[in-house]
Amino acid sequence: MTVGTTRRVNDLNVMVAGQGGDGSLTVSNLLGVLLGRHGFRMYNARNVASRIKGGHAAALMRGSTVGRSCMGDELDLLVAFDEEAIERAASWLADDGLVIFDSSGGPAPRANLPPTVTVYEIPFARMAIRDLRRDLFKNSLGFGVVARIVSASDTEAEEVLQHRFAHLPERVAAANVQALRAGFAYADEQGLSAGNGPLVLADGPPTDHILISGNEALAFGFLTAGGRFFAGYPITPASEILDWLERMLPRFGGIAIQAEDELAAINMAIGAAMTGTRSMTATSGPGISLMQEGVSHLGSAEIPLVVVDCQRSGPSTGMPTKPEQSDINMLVHGGTGDFPRIVLAPATPTECFELGAAATNFAQRIQGPVYVMLDQAVSQDAMTVEPFDLGAVEPVTGKRLSRQEVATADEYRRYAITADGVSPWALPGTPGGMSLVTGNERNEWGQVDTAAANRVAMVDKRARKIETVRADLPLGYRWGDPSAPVGMIGLGMERGPMEEATERLAAAGLTIDGLSPRTVWPVLAETIDFVRSHDRVYVVEHNAEAQFAHLIASVGGPHDRLRLVTKYDGIPFRPGELASRILEAEEVAK
Amino acid sequence: MTTTYQPATPIWCAGCGHFGAQAAIVHALRVLEIPPHETMVLAGIGCSGTIQNNLGTYGYHALHGRVLPTATGVHLANPDLTVIAAGGDGDGYAIGMGHLVHTLRRNPSFTYVVMNNGVYGLTKGQDSPTFQTAGASLDFDAVSLALSIAASSFVARGFARWSDQLNRLTVAAVEHAREGRGFAFLEVLSPCVTYNDTYPQWEATLHDLDATDHDPTDRTAAFDAVSRLGDMGRMAVGMIYRDDIAPTPVEYRPHPAAADVTPAANAEAYAAVLDRYRI
Repeated sequence: MTVGTTRRVNDLNVMVAGQGGDGSLTVSNLLGVLLGRHGFRMYNARNVASRIKGGHAAALMRGSTVGRSCMGDELDLLVAFDEEAIERAASWLADDGLVIFDSSGGPAPRANLPPTVTVYEIPFARMAIRDLRRDLFKNSLGFGVVARIVSASDTEAEEVLQHRFAHLPERVAAANVQALRAGFAYADEQGLSAGNGPLVLADGPPTDHILISGNEALAFGFLTAGGRFFAGYPITPASEILDWLERMLPRFGGIAIQAEDELAAINMAIGAAMTGTRSMTATSGPGISLMQEGVSHLGSAEIPLVVVDCQRSGPSTGMPTKPEQSDINMLVHGGTGDFPRIVLAPATPTECFELGAAATNFAQRIQGPVYVMLDQAVSQDAMTVEPFDLGAVEPVTGKRLSRQEVATADEYRRYAITADGVSPWALPGTPGGMSLVTGNERNEWGQVDTAAANRVAMVDKRARKIETVRADLPLGYRWGDPSAPVGMIGLGMERGPMEEATERLAAAGLTIDGLSPRTVWPVLAETIDFVRSHDRVYVVEHNAEAQFAHLIASVGGPHDRLRLVTKYDGIPFRPGELASRILEAEEVAK
Repeated sequence: MTTTYQPATPIWCAGCGHFGAQAAIVHALRVLEIPPHETMVLAGIGCSGTIQNNLGTYGYHALHGRVLPTATGVHLANPDLTVIAAGGDGDGYAIGMGHLVHTLRRNPSFTYVVMNNGVYGLTKGQDSPTFQTAGASLDFDAVSLALSIAASSFVARGFARWSDQLNRLTVAAVEHAREGRGFAFLEVLSPCVTYNDTYPQWEATLHDLDATDHDPTDRTAAFDAVSRLGDMGRMAVGMIYRDDIAPTPVEYRPHPAAADVTPAANAEAYAAVLDRYRI
């Protein structure tokens, strides 16, 4: 096959797919490094089955010179290790899309593909076994063909491979280079000569960047804010936080522990938090359900803790590897009784870092629970972002009493009623600071007390703590045209598609004003004012019951201005899909 | 002198076994000269879950059944504190049973005193997992369970009325934990005079291993004694098993609560973490 036209790309959507264990991630990582050298910024996602090996597994990747924070509408390039990959990706492929198919088991099934798609059939697995004696080499072999597709020079492709395998033994790297060169040879047979492929990469501005997932960034933020204790129980999609902190905390004098269940996890974290150690636990919806009693206890007993919910599709065990935002009700309203809490919602790795640190500090300031609400996409997708501003993080201690302060005080009451609701805190080990900590209603001394006047005073005291920090709670991210009569609002994973859909809608003649709140609870005036100041506001969220829209309406957002845009199929919005949903709704509005 | 909370008078019925358990804890803290500000007593839910109010130390009232993970967190984060977890058989052997197994397995260095009376007293007399029909051996024997977990390092049982022995065992338990030898599990048979008065029954069936030539460092012998006594409808009390491992030196214990978290002290190491993500 000869290649006719050459297209210059600055925004490339790629899917590498096959069975779990095929090594789809290797090919996509190699391409990511190559794109990075051209100044492209990456958005990496995955679509996997909930099992260790096998099942359809796809690495999704978008490289763009402007830096997008979601996958695009269409796939430009598909690397398919089996027929299922083509079947699943067919509807996403662009009309001028390219498919590289591992034809070891036969020709590509073209029936589902748009006729204008170009297919390269190369028997990677067969060649890898025949010439290189190992199936796994099909990845480097495949990358050789991908490199030719994007018109990279062979030298550049080899440098990428060497860079990527630098940490491996030399003979492994050498064998992969051999596989890469075999890939070049097959590409030659397909008419793909070096530097002369159907796609040519534009060059973005070379800058200093990091590539990191939300879960890793959040754990890092907690660490820099002084977090030194973590307890968790493995659960998708939160386990990376446990893994990361198990590796990192011991290097900083901290401890991460894998508990026997989520009940133990939150109570271990409660214990550590009582010693003044900044502490955190992380889980997903099913674990948050089990932790509700613990969170309520944090609110009552006034113990600072960060609780992370990496939301996945519910209800119950739901779809563990798929994203959803259906725990909003539980985070905002869950638990027994009335107690103050904060719920923060980051949308990017940068915000995961910043809000991970902020949550750690807010927990100390309110001596109570602070949730950080992520979703599977925000948790596990990795993005190219500016290096985090480490210097901007300052661990906050809140109202703690030093040994000296306790020694010179006449008396110490753990639950002293104060104007700001926060009681000065003497850590265990402080002479003279002995106290009783309990989830029961108690008096200022910590002694159980159910007298009516004390009860009301204590509930009110605890509630005041939120007012004390309200002005410092993180405001949302804004984009679009502030004068537009139509607004769009959404949390977490909706940010990227919403922002990009805004561009599409502007091109279609509809200007949009956008808000992505970073504080979910308490609902800030910013959110209510946003709804009040627009004729109608599209509330974009991943759940069936419009939980976020109901939350906004429940605190005074005029409900007749809210337009629901829900999705609960386990797949993030594509920008074009979201733009279409809104344009359809606008048609109805007319 | 800073005034803090006034220790409470126990809420227990006259004759409750818990008085004996509390007296033994007070005795151990005094004998070992552990000041109240370096002690944290964590208690579960139930009649026994009020013991922390009576002692003048740092006290914590845990969620029902969760006293062990909470105490584990306190101990791991600040190993300088003397941590004593306390609770009843409902708290520890019913709702909190899973945590007992895993705490024995992890072997963290704190003391756990279970006041076992075979009944839920605070909720007025429901059966607990250790409720015994007259004459039968324990339906559930936590001592056997503890012995079956290879990591367990201190297993003892006392009787609330036998105060000399209970004092000795409690001192030994707190010492074991303070020296970093591991989890000190002490069950106190502590009759509920109101709903399950087992004083006469237990007094007649207990067998004091301390008065025999039992070697508490021999796990097999401990198993043997406990199961043979059980077959006879009797129960072992005394120092049943203790690992004779050396204490963990203080300098080898991580201490998160004392970690220097200032940006100045960590800037370079944080920057190195960030560098791992550069592309």
